[in-house]
Amino acid sequence: MPSAKAKAIAPYAALLAGAAYLYHDAGSFASAGKAGQLGPDFWPRAILVLLMIVCAIEIGRHAFFARAASATDGIEAPSGDESPRFPRLLAAGMLITALYVPGMDYLGFFLATVAYLAAFMAVGRYRRWGVVATTSVLGSLAFVYVFMKVVYVSLPLGVGPFRDVSTALMSVLGIH
Amino acid sequence: MHDVLHQLGLGFLHLATIPNATALLVGLVVGMLVAVLPGLTLVMGVVLALPFTYGMGVTSSIVLLTAMYLSGTYGGAFTSILFRIPGEPLDVPLLWDGYPMARQGEPARALGWTLLAALFGGLITAVSAVALAVPFAKFALRFDAPEYFAIVLFGLTGVVSLAGGSLTKAVVSLCIGLLLATVGVDETYGTDRYTFGIPILKDGIEYLTVMVGAYGLGEVLTRMEQGFTTPAMEGSREVKTRFPAWREITALKGTIARSSFIGVLCGIVPGAGATVGSFVAYGAEAQYGKRRHLLGTGIPEGIVAPQLASTATVGGHMVPLLALGIPGSGATAVILGAFLLHGVQPGPQIFQTSGDMVYTIFASMFAAVFGMCLLGYFAIRPLIWVLRLPEAVTSAFVALFCFVGAYSARNSLTDLWMIVIFGVVGYLFERYRFPIAPMVLGCILGPVAETQFMTSMIAYQNDPAIFFTRPISGVVMAFTILALAYPLVRYVRVALRARRDPGAIGTLGQEAKP
Repeated sequence: MPSAKAKAIAPYAALLAGAAYLYHDAGSFASAGKAGQLGPDFWPRAILVLLMIVCAIEIGRHAFFARAASATDGIEAPSGDESPRFPRLLAAGMLITALYVPGMDYLGFFLATVAYLAAFMAVGRYRRWGVVATTSVLGSLAFVYVFMKVVYVSLPLGVGPFRDVSTALMSVLGIH
Repeated sequence: MHDVLHQLGLGFLHLATIPNATALLVGLVVGMLVAVLPGLTLVMGVVLALPFTYGMGVTSSIVLLTAMYLSGTYGGAFTSILFRIPGEPLDVPLLWDGYPMARQGEPARALGWTLLAALFGGLITAVSAVALAVPFAKFALRFDAPEYFAIVLFGLTGVVSLAGGSLTKAVVSLCIGLLLATVGVDETYGTDRYTFGIPILKDGIEYLTVMVGAYGLGEVLTRMEQGFTTPAMEGSREVKTRFPAWREITALKGTIARSSFIGVLCGIVPGAGATVGSFVAYGAEAQYGKRRHLLGTGIPEGIVAPQLASTATVGGHMVPLLALGIPGSGATAVILGAFLLHGVQPGPQIFQTSGDMVYTIFASMFAAVFGMCLLGYFAIRPLIWVLRLPEAVTSAFVALFCFVGAYSARNSLTDLWMIVIFGVVGYLFERYRFPIAPMVLGCILGPVAETQFMTSMIAYQNDPAIFFTRPISGVVMAFTILALAYPLVRYVRVALRARRDPGAIGTLGQEAKP
């Protein structure tokens, strides 16, 4: 099936293209070494050559020896694909996870974490809202206390009014 | 010998201090919790515990992580035997006899055999670590750059060839890890590499973000795509453990001896580890056991062999880690990371420079063995209560641990973006079945490999033959070639069989599984 073949080849083709670009880019590394010595580009280029060879082999194997490839892939892929997949859940999960990073900078660790935990559980199809709210707030408080008070990590406080909320919370928890 | 016992005694005294004893206890409990929860792997648990060690002393940190590692090889047995849910891949062979024994109305007996196997495996692993580490380190003092490079290369190829699955995917994963390690300022020449004008990349990519993102967040995203469908477990009130009689134990002396040897060996060989040890020990039992025809029906040999071997690998892994600074598995890679974060470089000198710490770690392994067995006997009922927590809730907190852990290292939001990026990379690796361990090890060992390679080349006039003409490095390189040849031979054999017998394609995968 051409689409199955293309699916198998695609990751290796992407890796091959990326490796070729990085190989070319390694030529721009400035070197202060003596003539005849291996430069700073040698090691990454050696790795990239190995990577390109492996990718080329895999592309050739899937393109021209599909049957043998599927047989040997049987070893490497014992199970898993049979379970149902929920790509929308994954996309939503990735989105809230990506938003959490700027959210932490803007809202501060506590507020962003409460929102993230609650959103994550909701996206994960957990519908006991009381538990969601309680675990989000108490979990975030526990993290603030342990990391700021015990481990001495300076977690982000946020900006503007959100910073005031974080500061007030810290004084309530006895974090100075 | 006398000196070793004296140092070990001092190690027990150091272990008795409040920080170390607390670290040991917490490590045992958390390790067991991690192993019980099907969504959390042992390596992921050790990774998530890493940020908590920043504020701790180096000895307490390593005691905590080692205790987690050891008890993690035992905790998953409960869910395997009682609920047929392996908490870890290494617990899969336990299902084959443990679950049938439990189904025959003897779950307490099955858990008793497991506890006994963990106890034997733990004691053997602790003794072997103490006995082998010093000779290993003394031998390693003769090493120069070519020997170190050869050994690092052997470690990396071992991980690639024995990690299971596809050789090419493992090589791709390793290459990505090695490339990630080249980002930043080059150690030999001080040249910027692959920084693309981004200032934070000059410091390189923190291997911590690679580990935490790929293992932790990647796994969470994978489970989210599967819809968090693992059901919450009930029935934890029925958990009890009953010890076998002495004559039953002596009847299994062959199984115990075989599995102990396999476990320690799989620990020392880079890349083998607890999962391989567990499968190989079960396979050896199926081949050489007195009652091999009864395996799979719920006999003690099928429980003792995998459990004993998987626990026995831990000490074996600690030997090359401490004596050479080379981790042979994902968990020991994280423990190496903890050493480096505290400014300690494991290697042959560590026995001279930090002997107290090393023997405290050894002492903690002995104490951890008894501790985990006591926990398993008395406290497992409240521990497996966590199985009743919904997967969406535990996964949300795992993701949070990943972020906070990575942020704590440098207080940098860029590292959080790295976590997101490597989380997606980890998910893609899972999705396309690329192993993560070679990437993580490549990331950690890449700089060591490059430095030793470049030093060798500068010292020996760019002559690559030096790696083959020096006796020790030559032998190690020969082993490296053998390690690479093994999966190639297997691959060719399977491909040829597929060509000869096309109808067997569907069964080849199963046949190749241990």
